[in-house]
Amino acid sequence: MSFLELYNVRKTFGQTDAVRAFNLQVERGEFISFLGPSGCGKTTTLRMIAGFELPTSGKISLNGNDITYKPPQKRNTGMVFQSYALFPNMTVADNIGFGLKIAGEPKSAIQKRVDEMLALIKMNQFGHRYPYQLSGGQQQRVALARAIAIRPQVLLLDEPLSALDAKIRVSLRQEIRSIQQKLGITTIYVTHDQEEALSLSDRVVVMNDGRIEQVGTPFEIYNFPTTEFTAQFVGTLNTIQATVRDAALGALIVANQEITTSQKLEGLQNGDAHSIAIRPERISFAADGKKPNVLNVRIETITFLGSIVRIQVSAGENIFYMDTFNNPFLSLPKIGDLVEVTFSKEAVLVLKNE
Amino acid sequence: MKKFPLGSWLIIFVGFTYFFLPLIGTLDFSLRILKDQITLDAYANVINAPRFQNTFTYSFTMALWTIAACTLLVAPTAYWVHLKLPHLRPIIEFITLLTFVVPAILLVFGLIRIYSRPPLSLMESEIGSDFLLVMGYVSLTLPFMYRAVDNGLRAIDVRTLTEAAQSLGAGWRTILFSVIFPNLRAALLSGAFLTFATVIGEFTIATFLARPAFGPYMANLGQTRPYESTALTMISLALTWISIGMIQLLGRGAQGQIAGTR
Repeated sequence: MSFLELYNVRKTFGQTDAVRAFNLQVERGEFISFLGPSGCGKTTTLRMIAGFELPTSGKISLNGNDITYKPPQKRNTGMVFQSYALFPNMTVADNIGFGLKIAGEPKSAIQKRVDEMLALIKMNQFGHRYPYQLSGGQQQRVALARAIAIRPQVLLLDEPLSALDAKIRVSLRQEIRSIQQKLGITTIYVTHDQEEALSLSDRVVVMNDGRIEQVGTPFEIYNFPTTEFTAQFVGTLNTIQATVRDAALGALIVANQEITTSQKLEGLQNGDAHSIAIRPERISFAADGKKPNVLNVRIETITFLGSIVRIQVSAGENIFYMDTFNNPFLSLPKIGDLVEVTFSKEAVLVLKNE
Repeated sequence: MKKFPLGSWLIIFVGFTYFFLPLIGTLDFSLRILKDQITLDAYANVINAPRFQNTFTYSFTMALWTIAACTLLVAPTAYWVHLKLPHLRPIIEFITLLTFVVPAILLVFGLIRIYSRPPLSLMESEIGSDFLLVMGYVSLTLPFMYRAVDNGLRAIDVRTLTEAAQSLGAGWRTILFSVIFPNLRAALLSGAFLTFATVIGEFTIATFLARPAFGPYMANLGQTRPYESTALTMISLALTWISIGMIQLLGRGAQGQIAGTR
């Protein structure tokens, strides 16, 4: 039995299905991210785990106990909110010690734990300050310490970095991960930011329209998306129109040129039109020599994005991107040039039809 | 430096004349109890009069009870409406505003009709009558207290603070008294001072319930002793202004204390 389990959890608001048939098993100490666009049901699912929403049907169990209808104050889950939600009338130390005070812990134990938490978030000198005297990043670190102070069974984070600027977001997410690993605390993290989800998580749950699209490690999610939604949502993806030439051999035609895929073309007949997908970084300029997949393309635009250069090319009616690492000695073709690009058979993803 | 236009000066002058000239006149009148002399005798007469002290103390006490009752009624209700029933907010607002539509005279006759006969003969005892007076005042001051608390609740993220407290193990009582009410301090004080300013000089309800309140005393004095009555008006006005000043002072102090991303 897993530490946290959601069985067939469903939530409806009026006529709208916010979460449908959600099944997930989370192991103790795992860091799981719910990733998806706004309105996909990720926050609702998190709120059901926290107890702020009751499932319409299904079951949630934590450490072997059914918590489906348990009130939030009895679940022992620490929650971190996007808007920090620090109590404005209390100092940082009082905020961190709030949960322990409610639990009836002695003053000396509370003080000791508060000091520990302040050290953990590297804010030892800030205990006497009020939330309005802190920056956004500091407030969120205090919120994290407050949630962890009660030694929760599960730590729940609802888009905790969304309100912060880019630099602080990166440093704080590393801090969250390192604290989580240090304490070995089971964590559910809600985000719409794929970079956050991929960099932090042991596993990512990609959600869309109230259901799970795919569950996997960041590596699996990025490299082997099983649905078009996951492929499109995580990273940049080129969708290219192709026609099946030989389903058994995995041969396809793109702009009158043949390419092959290592994936099976299940359920497709020769002559069928089907979309394939290739990530931009898997495409490169073809050097001399025989390659498995070579396409003649025309250079449309070239965009510098700092560490990478994104080149838009066209093959017949298909327009797609290829990425190459930037360096001072990079030799690039000109706009309008006809060039050959190549990619491996494994790079050609045949997506399930939605 | 930008020049202040003549038109603006004119508006300030007209406004000042309209608002302050009558006050200056009243103040001047209250200081002329003795012929050709400026004196505070009228104020001394008022303050030393036992009836002033009795009625003022009585109204002050009733104001405190009204503030307590109104706070206990409005704060949890407004909180619950914000948290669980936000769609009912316009209806609640409408109910609180009914006081402006129903005149105090109707309210007091309604109270008298219902509570002066069995089974609820509250008017037969002093405590019962005081209770009715406080309840009448609660109705009268409901819009002020509700508005103040509602504004206070809008300034804090009620839902998230509640959920944060819940996730830390807090029950409803702790949430209300340790998290929500302390963050409504300025709003509650503002409502309390508005309530105080309204209740301290209230005339209609106190008169018809035959209570020894400050409002009826002021009116009574005005009919017999014009100088003392004018001095009393100035005292009453000063109390109102002090209340408003306190609201400003406390409201300003609470401004910077809202943290978060809202």
